[in-house]
Amino acid sequence: MSRDSNYDHHISIFSPNGRLYQVEYAFKAAASASGLTSVACRGSDTCAMVTQKKVPERLIDPSSVSNVYTIIPSIGCLMTGHSPDCKALVSRMRYEANDFQYKYGYPIPVGSLAQRIADIAQVNTQKASFRPLACTAMLVSVDDEKGPSLYKVDPAGHFLPFKATASGAKEQEATNYFEKKVGDLSGYNADETVRCAIMCLGSVLGSDFRGSEIEVCTVEKGGKFKKLSEEETERHLNDIAEMDA
Amino acid sequence: MASSGSGYDLSPTTFSPDGRIFQVEYASKAVASSGTSVGLKVSNGVVLVTEKLLNSKMLVPGSSRRLHGLDRHAGCSVTGLVSDGRQLVNRGRSEASNYLDTYGIRSPPSVLCDRLASFAHYFTLHGALRPFGATTMVAAYDEDVEEYTLTMIEPSGQAYRYFGCAAGKGRQGAKTEIEKLNLQGMDCSEGLDK
Repeated sequence: MSRDSNYDHHISIFSPNGRLYQVEYAFKAAASASGLTSVACRGSDTCAMVTQKKVPERLIDPSSVSNVYTIIPSIGCLMTGHSPDCKALVSRMRYEANDFQYKYGYPIPVGSLAQRIADIAQVNTQKASFRPLACTAMLVSVDDEKGPSLYKVDPAGHFLPFKATASGAKEQEATNYFEKKVGDLSGYNADETVRCAIMCLGSVLGSDFRGSEIEVCTVEKGGKFKKLSEEETERHLNDIAEMDA
Repeated sequence: MASSGSGYDLSPTTFSPDGRIFQVEYASKAVASSGTSVGLKVSNGVVLVTEKLLNSKMLVPGSSRRLHGLDRHAGCSVTGLVSDGRQLVNRGRSEASNYLDTYGIRSPPSVLCDRLASFAHYFTLHGALRPFGATTMVAAYDEDVEEYTLTMIEPSGQAYRYFGCAAGKGRQGAKTEIEKLNLQGMDCSEGLDK
């Protein structure tokens, strides 16, 4: 498209065919910046999220590499994309959640948080002086009224509730895997939900994992959002291996 | 693919078609062409060493420092554009001091480094600003858990904790050497010699 004004590629204005190129490039950055894939699914009373853990260099302390963040004790999020952008978005989410609690006196429902973050992300797509943040957020919680909830917020400001979703490099393959399982998901208990998420990532990446290569986090009914320790992850991986064997 | 910039590298608010932010990558290049700094986390502390390039015999040795204190329990070394680094150091000092004023205890390393990283990251978001052309290695002590930490904050705002890190011209060679060392088995004076 060798049009005269190439600014439609440079800042967030419409191109002649109605596309926002900068927003599309932001999606590419979010998917490929880290090269990781994350998956999430919800069961009957639990939500589980799994992502790869890759430590970029041998000299890095592995405990400082994590894409799992707690927003408030009942809401957790898994970020995929450019890591400084992820941290900036997490800071903002924590601020918004605590501000809600301060104003209204009760913890923010995850859907409202997702909507607020999506609105903030959308503003970046309309301002020339800011760029969209190259990261996708997956928020989970077990809501009082709606039960287990999973929301995905992307750089363009879309947000939707999901039964299961994925983001990152192998997003499409993971989504295809989940589409075959979606009918069974609503009947899964806590362990089965976690295992379904781990197996999805395993089949998409075509390899078996050790406990130190993935991060698993869950939120259960009445419980807090927590990240599984390496031992708990290994237990799930062993159960999966026994199931297949 | 516009791998050499060609129009997508004019502003930190522009993504390239393959999803890269060139201005941030160029800022890292500015760091990579400067004097080397090395940081090592050893058993009883952290050692920061930095190369001082004295361009002229007329320069007074001891001026233009690249190692700075942020607070009594934290210090940092600057690699890259020294003047950009000074901004980061000043911000680090004011963050540490504000934390002490607000909470009454010295800032934990993770808080100090996260704030400094967020600060550096902000400059990669705004069209009217440019990223810092400097990497800081922050060495700090956490009095609650009685642990030392070494964190490297890059121009993109990325901050990881390291056992050993290097930045600047000689970083490749330095990293190879560091990986061979047994850092846990050393103490500060041995680390300094290495």
